[in-house]
Amino acid sequence: MALSKEELKAVIIEKAIKAPKPQLYLKDFYKCDPDSKPRVIKNVANELVREGELMYWSSGSTTMYARPDRIKNEEGAQGVND
Amino acid sequence: MSKHDTPMLDELEKGPWPSFVTDLKRQAETKPECWDILGQLELSYEDKITHWKHGGIVGIFGYGGGVVGRYSDVPDRFPGVEHFHTVRVNQPSSKYYSTKFLRGICDLWEKYGSGMTNMHGSTGDMVLLGTRTENLEPLFWDLTHDLNQDIGGSGSNLRTPSCCLGQSRCEFACYDTQEICHTLTNHYQDELHRPAFPYKYKFKFSGCANDCVAAIARSDLAVIGTWKDDIRIDQAAVKEYMAGNYPANAGAHAGRDWGAFDIQKEVIDLCPTGCMSMEGDELKVDNSECTRCMHCINVMPRAMRPGKEQGATICMGAKAPILEGAQFATMIIPFVKIEKENEYEAVINVIESVWDWWMEHGKNRERVGEAMQRIGLANFLSIIGVEPLPQHIQEPRSNAYIFWREEEVPGGFERDIVEFRKRHAA
Repeated sequence: MALSKEELKAVIIEKAIKAPKPQLYLKDFYKCDPDSKPRVIKNVANELVREGELMYWSSGSTTMYARPDRIKNEEGAQGVND
Repeated sequence: MSKHDTPMLDELEKGPWPSFVTDLKRQAETKPECWDILGQLELSYEDKITHWKHGGIVGIFGYGGGVVGRYSDVPDRFPGVEHFHTVRVNQPSSKYYSTKFLRGICDLWEKYGSGMTNMHGSTGDMVLLGTRTENLEPLFWDLTHDLNQDIGGSGSNLRTPSCCLGQSRCEFACYDTQEICHTLTNHYQDELHRPAFPYKYKFKFSGCANDCVAAIARSDLAVIGTWKDDIRIDQAAVKEYMAGNYPANAGAHAGRDWGAFDIQKEVIDLCPTGCMSMEGDELKVDNSECTRCMHCINVMPRAMRPGKEQGATICMGAKAPILEGAQFATMIIPFVKIEKENEYEAVINVIESVWDWWMEHGKNRERVGEAMQRIGLANFLSIIGVEPLPQHIQEPRSNAYIFWREEEVPGGFERDIVEFRKRHAA
């Protein structure tokens, strides 16, 4: 059975905290709950960005997600949510 | 910021053609950071390596696209380009602007950025080149509130949809490209602004096979206008062309004397399927062989017109060279009606059937076209629920290896091996 939205948020945050690399593809979050549809996970991940729990990291061609406290901006400043 | 010695770049100002170096020097008179663009580029020429770093967390809050981070890796030498982010602005359908709007965009970019623009980028967006991180939010506020314009797509988002001029100016357009482009841009706002996919995804809408937005080469989903019934021929106009009374190609090649118009050489012999012929003084088209390429219509636009039963062909999987080489789109749906009345339901169903599969099974940084190649066309068609059609193959029986599924074979794969061995000894 798929996790509830709050449960899904918690496991995604945990994944973002514990993953070896700070930047994660959206697809990396699919493994947090194999029973949830990709669109559901996408919506939850984007909601976590709005809540400040995650932030986007973009190369320009690909967008990834990261915890604000695990990533620094290119010029060395902390993320905008810090 | 001061001027830098740029002997190699200065070479690019020589000759009769326009020079971006000259443009940058002119812009530097009011935007001194442009001197640092030239300085850093000269250094890149010397070092034979780029000095731009790209990407990062820079962006507009809550938006996963529209801003591409750019930083100098030598900011101490070129402080004017320490930050030099690119902003993509969603262009209106077919890129129609008022001069008031264009002045507004230019004023906005003079206020918050370098003043340099790229009208337009290959995605179709207005591209505003060069600003600092702290300018992004105020720029976005003014762009959306004063100019009523949105940012475009980048990253793993739906990219800004684009379309040809369509029926606004072109009599060949087989559907209203502007309307569907605008409607789907609004329909997919979430996908446009927030990353949803393994990699980039683009729509492009062309009204006919002339494909003025290069949909077949540059979009994951190309909707290209076509028709289902017979091409329309005005035999009287054909005769006028043959008599030299109407200029071929609507006069497009009139700058040089190409000799008298020769319908055999310029039209019939160039038909890719050889479906045209003359019977007496009448032009005949075998419509069952016509591939709707538009060549004869382009040469004789007053004599030939698309048929009346119009719609579009949907092709999928084109991409530019990154990462595994360029590829053209593959024809998937030969004909679909493009109907505003049902909110383009047929096209939306096709789009979302692909997305649902690709979101789940596409690899990171794998375009739809690459995923299609990985699994094969037959499997891809099966996944999105499209029956294989003759139009899906280039020619009959060019592939000796046909793999049947058990349900496609009468009686399945079960057989009596003892009975078989009576006739075929091991």
